[in-house]
Amino acid sequence: MDFGFTAENDAFREEVRQFIADHITPEVQAELKQSRLKGPGPLTKELLLKLGEYGWIGMSWPKEYGGQERDLIDQYIFEEEFVRARIPLDLNNILEQAPAIMRAGTEEQKKYFLPRLVKGEVTFALGYSEPSGGTDLASLKTRAEADGDEYVINGQKMFTSGAHHSTHLYLMARTDPELPKHKGISIFLIPMDAPGITVRPLWTLAGGRTNEVFLENVRVPKDAMLGEKNEGWYVGASALNLGRAGARRYYTYISAFENIVHFIKEQRATGLDLAADPAIQDKLAELYSEAQVCRLFTLRSLSMVRRGMNPPYEISSEKVWGPDFHVKSTEIITQILGPYAQLWEGSEWTPREGEFAKQYVGAMVSTFAHGSVQVMRDAIARRGLGLPRG
Amino acid sequence: MDVLLDEYEAMLKRTAREFFERECPPALVRRMETDEELGHSVEMWRQIAELGWLGFALPQAYGGEEAPLEQLGLLFEEIGRALAPLPFLSTMAPALTLAEAGTEAQCLDILPRVGRGDLLLTWAVMERDPRCTPDTIHTEAIRDGEEYVISGSKLFVDQFHSADRCLVACRTGRDISLLLLDTNSAGIASTLLPTLAGDKQSEVVFDRVRVPAANRIGEAGQGWPIVERMLERATALMCAQIVGATRKAVDMAVDYAKWRVAFGRPIGAFQSIQHMCADMVTWVDGASLLTYEALWKLSHGLPASVEVAAAKSFCNERCQAALRHANQIHGGVAQIKEFDLNLWYRRAAAWTMKLGRTFEHRAKIAQALELSSVSSSA
Repeated sequence: MDFGFTAENDAFREEVRQFIADHITPEVQAELKQSRLKGPGPLTKELLLKLGEYGWIGMSWPKEYGGQERDLIDQYIFEEEFVRARIPLDLNNILEQAPAIMRAGTEEQKKYFLPRLVKGEVTFALGYSEPSGGTDLASLKTRAEADGDEYVINGQKMFTSGAHHSTHLYLMARTDPELPKHKGISIFLIPMDAPGITVRPLWTLAGGRTNEVFLENVRVPKDAMLGEKNEGWYVGASALNLGRAGARRYYTYISAFENIVHFIKEQRATGLDLAADPAIQDKLAELYSEAQVCRLFTLRSLSMVRRGMNPPYEISSEKVWGPDFHVKSTEIITQILGPYAQLWEGSEWTPREGEFAKQYVGAMVSTFAHGSVQVMRDAIARRGLGLPRG
Repeated sequence: MDVLLDEYEAMLKRTAREFFERECPPALVRRMETDEELGHSVEMWRQIAELGWLGFALPQAYGGEEAPLEQLGLLFEEIGRALAPLPFLSTMAPALTLAEAGTEAQCLDILPRVGRGDLLLTWAVMERDPRCTPDTIHTEAIRDGEEYVISGSKLFVDQFHSADRCLVACRTGRDISLLLLDTNSAGIASTLLPTLAGDKQSEVVFDRVRVPAANRIGEAGQGWPIVERMLERATALMCAQIVGATRKAVDMAVDYAKWRVAFGRPIGAFQSIQHMCADMVTWVDGASLLTYEALWKLSHGLPASVEVAAAKSFCNERCQAALRHANQIHGGVAQIKEFDLNLWYRRAAAWTMKLGRTFEHRAKIAQALELSSVSSSA
């Protein structure tokens, strides 16, 4: 076991910090903050180019697709520094579909999408969940029917974040309703401006936007399909798996906790001691230990993937512990801040621009997005411990 | 950075597990609970001495192998898993302290014999107050020529009745000094305590016990930092024992859930039981990673008091919760003495009660995070 970082790792961390100091100006930060609502703006695209010059995009990808084949630890360090500096640039999200395209795409698809993805010229919205099911994703109903050289797509997608500003939809649709549910699904890469696509906003409690997407007789050429026909479940499932590990994920869960600790210290300097009660100190120390488990679970998954292992249940554990911690920590934070915790941005009394209120109502998303904590517990029990199916 | 065991560590752990699976059946654990003399297996102590485990982490200069603490921790994890009735922690914590803070003469006198299995040690810090802080130490050592004279009493001293030497934290004026005394010295009275785990812990009363000044470990009045490091190491090793024992209880519960049939199917097919099992394994994995990180930092000479505190407070809470789940999955038989699960339950639970309560460990973390404005009494 080795819980330390090498001198090279530390040097790289320093390099990333320097990059942040040099290139993440307040203007870039301001634009990035809007990117969830508006998509990558001009400064973000410039930043992506700059990151590309440093070789920090697709750091761990194969060289033939523009990657650097760098150690996953560098990727981890890079992400950790960005998230800790509160820079809302989610490369994981921008690049989430790249590994699937590398693995399953045709040469033409790779040549078209990969270079554009790394420059932010192509962005994908994920068309997975539907009104009748998200956690039980494989029962999706959206249909893609062959018609000559084309497919005709009809159906509805839900919780399609970024659909209003993305260039493409990464769509899961049923291509064979006769086959068992996991076997008749295919993936399509569809331009969002294709006729027949309508996007409607769904506003979230935390002030964000997601969407529902209606597909009505959307016609796409056959080469819009990614991978083999009816193999889409397996292409999509592996892409989802990659999104479940990484420094960004663990940090998302613990950032509210780290911020309340900073906030308490900041306030104490101005004469308000929010943690004067030892009971509050005890609770925060409890959260501290549990936050370390979030970090260590991520490092465990990382260690396993680096050794070429396929973690049988560990990534699911990460995805149970982290989200549950996230929710628990935000609940405790509201009890530490009391009435201040209810304030949105806009008052001089609002702590941290309303971040704590946003985290409080937003944390629930962790426990159901990308597989609910219940489904993750099923996976630990069945895949990890070999318990029988009910 | 690789938080998994390397090849050697995995081999070491496997070897230890195989040894204890062969040599330490639950029947032996039970027998030692009611053993009126030592409460530990002399034969197994001899065997692990021959395997080199007693000198494993001791300095090479005194016949040891100088293995890093995290590797010693793996042995402790397997001892915990097997509930091996051995005075290993009680001997190893003061031995490592001696190696760190003792003079060459003291180390030469004691450590080679510890490594060979010829000398058992223990330590006595705690008195009536379960917090281990210097102000709770009232046992006094008064200098008298070339000797100290000790009076006072200590509680929950592990294996005192079988130990040859005991490292005692004493008040010398305003400060604390550490004295290594012979347990056969005149003026010592000890009484065994009736414990949950059926192990041998004693109340020890010192009535004008005379100890040569040459047996002081460290400078006079400079004992507390040495005690703190001993407690940190002992706590991290205790966490490894708790993790090992809890992991075994989890394995037993998962196994039980696979074959125990109710309502026409194995209870492990019910989602409510599956989710309990998923939580148990997640908790014990978390406890294990925190413990390994604490041991690794200690062995690399890095500040680790926060890591130790996080590991122990997490073990206290989550390993107890995992044991509770293991009992619940077993249902009625969990309460039956003859059924083995309670051996693990009682010991792991008892270990969570020693070497720092959850509250103290969390207070230490809060202080390190600068959340508390109160300064340490240490």
